[in-house]
Formats: sequence, C-alpha cells, structure tokens
Amino acid sequence: MFFSKIWFFLIALAAALALTVALVMPRPAERAHIDNEKQRLVVACTVVDILLGDDARNRVELASAFASKPEIVSALSTASAAASIDESRMKQVRAVGEAVMEEMKGKRKPDFAMLIDTHGRVVARVALDQNDFGDIAAGRPLIDDALAGYLRDDLWAHNGTLYLVTAAPVVKRDAPVSYAGAIVLGHQVTNTLAQRLVKSLDVDLGFYLGKDEVAGSKTLAVEATPMVEAVKAISGGDLSQDCLANKTIPITSGKESYTALVARLPGEVSNRSAYYTVFIKRPDALGFAGTLKVVNQSDLAPGKFPWPLVAGGFLLMLGIGIALMFIESDRPLRKLTAEAVKLAKGETERLSEDAHPGKFGSIARSVNIAIDKLGREAKSAKKDMDQLLGPAPEGSLGTIDLLATALPAVRPGGSAPSMSQPPSEFKFLSSSTQPGVTPATPPPRTPQARPGTPPPMTPTARPPAPPPTPALGTPTPPPPAFAATPTPTPASASDLGLDDDILGGSVPDGSAAVAGDDSFKQVFDQFVAMKKSCGEPTTGLTLAKFSEKLVKNREDLMTKTGCKDVRFTVYVKDGKAALKATPVKED
Amino acid sequence: MFLPLRVCVVVFGSLVAGQAAASPVIGKLDLPKELPQREPAATHGFLERVENPLALPRPVPVFPHMVVVLESEGAKATAPGQVIWELVGESFARPVMIAPIGAEVVIKNVSKTSRTLFAVEDPKLVPSGPINPTGPKSFRVADAKVYTITDKDAKHLKGTLVTVASPYVAIVDDNGKFEIDAPEGTYKLRIFYRSEWLEGTTDVVVGAKGKTEVSPKVPSLLPLKKK
Repeated sequence: MFFSKIWFFLIALAAALALTVALVMPRPAERAHIDNEKQRLVVACTVVDILLGDDARNRVELASAFASKPEIVSALSTASAAASIDESRMKQVRAVGEAVMEEMKGKRKPDFAMLIDTHGRVVARVALDQNDFGDIAAGRPLIDDALAGYLRDDLWAHNGTLYLVTAAPVVKRDAPVSYAGAIVLGHQVTNTLAQRLVKSLDVDLGFYLGKDEVAGSKTLAVEATPMVEAVKAISGGDLSQDCLANKTIPITSGKESYTALVARLPGEVSNRSAYYTVFIKRPDALGFAGTLKVVNQSDLAPGKFPWPLVAGGFLLMLGIGIALMFIESDRPLRKLTAEAVKLAKGETERLSEDAHPGKFGSIARSVNIAIDKLGREAKSAKKDMDQLLGPAPEGSLGTIDLLATALPAVRPGGSAPSMSQPPSEFKFLSSSTQPGVTPATPPPRTPQARPGTPPPMTPTARPPAPPPTPALGTPTPPPPAFAATPTPTPASASDLGLDDDILGGSVPDGSAAVAGDDSFKQVFDQFVAMKKSCGEPTTGLTLAKFSEKLVKNREDLMTKTGCKDVRFTVYVKDGKAALKATPVKED
Repeated sequence: MFLPLRVCVVVFGSLVAGQAAASPVIGKLDLPKELPQREPAATHGFLERVENPLALPRPVPVFPHMVVVLESEGAKATAPGQVIWELVGESFARPVMIAPIGAEVVIKNVSKTSRTLFAVEDPKLVPSGPINPTGPKSFRVADAKVYTITDKDAKHLKGTLVTVASPYVAIVDDNGKFEIDAPEGTYKLRIFYRSEWLEGTTDVVVGAKGKTEVSPKVPSLLPLKKK
C-alpha cells in the first residue's frame, strides 16, 4: 500500500496545485489587463494632449488669418485712435467681425470673437456678450501677449463653459508698420469636440472644471471627487507629463466602474482645477470566478482546448492508481484469502508469513500466532493431565496418554466436538467418500507436528480398526487439522461421550473401556495387541497388573476431577502403544 | 493708459492740496539703455507664445510699473487725503500704486465684473466682501510696506500698493514724467519698480518759488537687485 499512498498523495498534491494554479492564474492576467488598461489610457491621454496641441496650432493660424483681414485692421486702427468707444463704433466694428466670422464657415468657426484696440479696450464682441464693450481686457495674459505682438492660445472659463481661446495681434502693415490692437477667438469645448478627439481611441473623454463636467464624449454622471483629488495630488509644473506620470484611478458612474486617468488643462483655467479625464469601462469579469463566467463554448472547442492531453492525463492517473491498488491491495488480499481457505481446509497448517507483503503479512502472522497459542494451550492441558494422572508405566505398560477434558454436564443432541465449530466452508470428509480411511484415521498432517498436536498415527501403528457400529450408519467426520485431540473413533450418536469425537472411538467397540473388570480385559487385550503390532515386547505384562494400574488411575482421576467414571483408550504414540484416560462426568 | 493716469494725477493733486508754499517738482526718469526683456507668460495654453511675423514685439512697458517718492527727515510721516486706485476690468488702471501712510486708499471698480480682492501680505487689509461694479472699497495703511492686491478667482488680476512715510509721492506717466508738489527743502528721490525699490537716490532741492526740474537716472533694471 506504500506506493498507493504515495500515489494518492501525488494526486492530492496535483489537485491542490491545479486549484492553486486555477486561483492564481487570473491574477497575472488581471495585472496584465490593468497594465494594458493603464497603457491604453496613457496612450489615449497623450494622444488627446497631442490632438489638443494640434488643434491649438490650427486655431492660432485661424486667429492669425482673422487678425490679418484688412477690414479688421482698419476698424481697430480707427478705434485705437479714438478717445473713447461709443456704441456706434462698437456696432460698426462688431459688424466687421461678424462678417469675417461668417467667412470662416467650412473651417472651424469660432464661437466668439473679441476685438481689442491698442489700449486694451474691448471695442466689440461677436456672438458672446456682444452688447458689452469698452471694458479693459488688458491684464489677461493672453491679451497682454497679443497686444505685445505674440500669438498664442489659452483656456478660459466663462459662465461654467470652457473655451479654447487664441489671440493674435492686429498689425497695420502699411508703412509705418504698427500695432492696431488684437483679436481673440474662442472655441467652446463641447461634447462633439470630445467625441472627435477620442474617435479612434476607443476610450471616453471628459472635460471638467473642478467637480463640474463641462463636456464629454459620453453622457455620464461620474463621481468627480476621486478625479479632483487626483488632480490635487499631481505635483510638478510640467503639465505635458501628467499623462505619463499619473496613476490610474477607479471611478464609478451608477453601477458601472471605470478606470480613469486625469491630466490638468493648461492656461488660465488651471487656477480653477480644470482637467480632462480619459476613462474606459472596467470589465465585469476579473479574478477566478469572473474568468469562469466569461468562458464560452469556443474556449472549450477541440481545436483550442487540449482535450487529448487532459483525457490522457486523466487515464494515466486512473490507470496508475488502479494498477497500484491491484498490485498492493487486491492481489495480496486475494492471495491471503486463498491461503486462508487452504488453512481452513487443512491443506496447510499455517499461513506463510513472508509470502504476504505489508499488512497482509501482519494478518498472516497474527493468525499464525493464534494457531500457535491454541497449540500451546492444548499441550499445556495435556501436561496438566499427565501431572494429574501420573506418568505412564515404563516398559511393560508403555506411555499412558491421558487427556483430561472438561466434559459438559449435558450434551444436547448427543455427541459434539469439544472444540469450536469449524468455518462454514470447512467440511469434514465423510467415510463414504473416503472408503479407504477408517474413522480412526487421523487427518493428513505435515511432518512437523505442532506443539500440543497429537502425533500422527500411521496405519501400520494403528491397531485393527474396529468395525463401525451397524446402527451408526453415519459417517464420522475427521477431526480438524488443528485439533489437538486423539484419534476419534466411530460412535453412535446415543453412545458417544463428549470426547468420542476426539478419541475417534466408542466404548462398545472394545477399543475403549469404562470401569469394570471386563472392560479392563478388553482394554488389556487391545493394548497387548497394539504393543505387538508396534513391535514392543509384552513380557511381564499381565492383566492383573494392568487392571491394578487402571483402577488406581481411575480412582485418582475420579478423585481429582470429580468425574463418575473414566474411559480408557488404546492408541499409538511415537510408535509405541499408549493408553489414554478420559474422565466421564455423566453417563 | 491715459485714462488711469489722468485719474491718478487728480488724486495726487488732492493729496498735496492745502499745503502752504509748495513748489512743483517736475521730473523725467532717464532709463538705462538696456531694458528688461518680456517675462515668460504667466500662463499659456497648449502652445508657447510665438512672435507675429509682421512686426517686432512691443517693448516691455516700464513706466507704468514705477512710482517715485521724495523723502525728507523733517517731513511729516503721515498725510491725510485719498488715493483712488481704479479697477478697470482685468487689471488695475496702474499696476503699481503709491500712497502715504495714513491716506485712504479707495479701490474703485469701474469694470463690469465683481471682484473679491485681498492683500497677500495682510489678508485683513482690504475689507472683506466683493467689490461690485462701480462700487468702492477703501482702507487705510498704517505701515510703510509693499502690498500685493489680487483676486483669488482671477490670479492675473494683480496690483502692487506701496505705502511710504512721506506725503510727497507721484506716479510716472507713459513717458517717464512725474510731478510732485513739495515745500521748500532738501529731499531724496527714490524710485520703486514693479516690486522693489531701486538702488540709489537722487538729491532734490526744492526752492521757495518756481519749478524744480530733475532727471533722475534709473539704475539698471536688469537684473533687479535686492535692497
């Protein structure tokens, strides 16, 4: 069973490893997925930044073109020379501005325009707050730079709306070249712009002023607090590095989760926590359970899944397990069972211990130990009886083998063996099936007699077997191989004593005698005949001495055991005639 | 910038009104040849600013950022009166304003936008609350100090208020000219530029009668040196 246990251990280990792998495997994939998500967001954020820069370049060119229009130059030159700006001048300049904006259809038309004179006064506004004029716009960095002769862009927030603004100086090119003012063009940040920026990026984009969403590619009520905190956590003045340096953050919109990356917006609106966010929806399935959920039929298709490998592995493991079970369990058990049957049948005297491995050998040893114990107990009982009855007479009388077996007070149903019943499958051979075997013939034995086991009674050493009682009619079963009893003699059910099965004979047949001179005569005759048959001398052996000895032994036995009578049986022991005394408690 | 200048001249005229035997000191600042370059833009969008291809950029305006003061040991440290500082839209009419200690500084919002101003160096200097369009906000300064007045919602809106222990102060017009009414005596003229007092002084002797003309030389503005 050693290798079977090792195999089960390996199977359990493999199962644990497989479970561990199954639980762990999604995690690297999840990490890779998160990394991919971040990479996608970084790329998208960078691309948005680049696109906004390109857009700013286009808008600066647009503003330059707007500022170079002769009618604009003329209108602002005139306004700059005026001491004050009145409404009529405002309307006249505004009309010019509207006409120029109208020409920009087909390009990217601004959402508003401001026309500013050299003093920084707003001469006119187009499309946004167009009735306001005369205020000083100088002071705003964008306008100061434009009045100084620079082109640039900026981002403004106005009434909760985000504008991409560009400014250009208005230069009077006629000699002498001079500045006539500046113009500002504004483009509103709209959902359309956001959608256009992320059109090919497969992400979503939102523009925010603090917690307020200004525009987005998707209408989402996103929880803005994490984004605001992420913006606050950004350090460093180089806004162009925000996309690369920032960490992705999880945000939610209702029940949906997104991964987002924030980047600050430059310009004037940076003071108002303006930023944009690129975000992608987090996949529902992450982790082991999530991975299982998304497994579909195609994943298990024969072409994609290594079914032969799985099936082969399964069959290999199963085959090895069954083989080990057969080798280490089934086959030894079968072998032990067969040997036990042999033992039960008497074909073997004990189990072979070395032939059975492991626990089966232990079982065999235990059985053998039990057999040995029974033998020792039988021998011990015999010795006790010898002590009780005294040694057999030397020489003339030979060995008297007396078996003192406690007899039951009552024998229901007649005679019965004094030992435990044999196993159910153990069957005594009947005399009819073995005609050559007399009832007194002992069962075949191995040459090595076990302690306590009666010696074999060879046919030559046996006295002539008395004929079976005609009335008996029933075959006499041979004693069990392990029974440490004398040779049984056939007996009728009514005449047999308790030890008849053991002695293999019955009183009436003359081979055994119970008290009485006649009986002693019969026993004496049988004993003399047995001695002769064994080649022993019978000189000096007389009936008187023999009877005297039997009487003495009978009395001693009756005194010590309390039995009512003693039965004597003649048999052969170690090639010599012997006499056995059996106490009889009941008639 | 002529409108703010006009306002300020009126204000300073009122400052010295009532003082006996005051004579005008008229001066014109003599700038050094090398003027400071335009500073990088405080903010910009996705692109850096670029020069237009048609004309050279305008030089950095210097005089709007200058104020002058005549200091004398015997002069009064404080002066009553009022200094009006106009808020004209996205900026102050003058980026730098000067006021004697004790004078009432009135910030007048002539723009169409409400502002909430405060002094960076002393948040309690300017009374709290917004300054609505056309609405004033006034306060007095007790110490000679430089204050930066700004709006937290429009950080580009920034003005410098310089308070001095002398009643003889003046702003400088776009041409570098200034005029101060001062009584007879000997004074030292100091120039303040942007956020610092420039090194060096010019001695000015004011007579009992007639104009006193001075042409103080402005030390190098590049780089600005700490006092």
